[in-house]
Amino acid sequence: MSDLAKEKAARLLKKRGSLSSLGSHDIKAKETVGKTKDSISTVSYIDDPGHHDDNPRPAVQMENTYQLGPTRRFPVTAVNDILKDVLASYLQEEKYEAELCRQMTKTISEVVKARVKDLMIPRYKIIVLISIGQLGNQNMRMGSRCLWDAANDTFSSHTFKNSSLFAIANVYGVYSE
Amino acid sequence: MEEYHPGDEVAFNPDEASNCVKECIEGIIGGVDYSQNKVNQWTATIVEHSLTQLVKQGKPFKYIVNCAVMQKSGAGLHTASSCYWDTTTDGSCTVRWENRTMYCVVSVFAVAVTL
Repeated sequence: MSDLAKEKAARLLKKRGSLSSLGSHDIKAKETVGKTKDSISTVSYIDDPGHHDDNPRPAVQMENTYQLGPTRRFPVTAVNDILKDVLASYLQEEKYEAELCRQMTKTISEVVKARVKDLMIPRYKIIVLISIGQLGNQNMRMGSRCLWDAANDTFSSHTFKNSSLFAIANVYGVYSE
Repeated sequence: MEEYHPGDEVAFNPDEASNCVKECIEGIIGGVDYSQNKVNQWTATIVEHSLTQLVKQGKPFKYIVNCAVMQKSGAGLHTASSCYWDTTTDGSCTVRWENRTMYCVVSVFAVAVTL
């Protein structure tokens, strides 16, 4: 598929508000002592319809709140309980299947976000990241680093495992001054 | 010290961030095979370098960088994220990278700081 056609497809996908995967297939072959190592990288980002295409809304000028910090901190233990609860209830009996788990990750992330929103913590932005994987003979390492205000921002994380799959849930709470 | 100009709100640019991250990954695990004892160090380095490069862009954002490195064994992996934020200023981008022996998935979330 030519680059132009790919971009057009991506733009159309963006308008429909679905995941756009711009495959920039840089296939580099590195010759090292006779062995060829290939690497492929792809980039994807989710867009709301008309996010980049419309004229950007003028930046909202916020009034001074005179607040030095959040009135209520991000409740890490409560969020931890939500994660435990949601992961267990959705995945306890499930077997790993590609289609099911693809849908499940999206559903679980939406559900967790809704429940954290229900906690009504003012001025906090919420990011939920869910990964579901098949249990095989592989090894996996996940790491996360954040540049934020350590006094106000925090995260909560939980892992779940059953006989055929594992799930990792990360919730980050960022205070918006 | 860099100067931030209030009222200069720009939305997150995912392309720039993804290029940045791709280069970091290539530089760190570009031509190597999966190795159990090194993977800990790799994830830490990838995340640190990506974060440093993103900060060098000098934009008024708080960043969250998440990296997962997985050995290739035929097993599947799905990742999804759901975010409650200001869609005009905040954004995210995910970079998937693979070579012969492993997958690497890096997610970057950028939350605007109001100055």
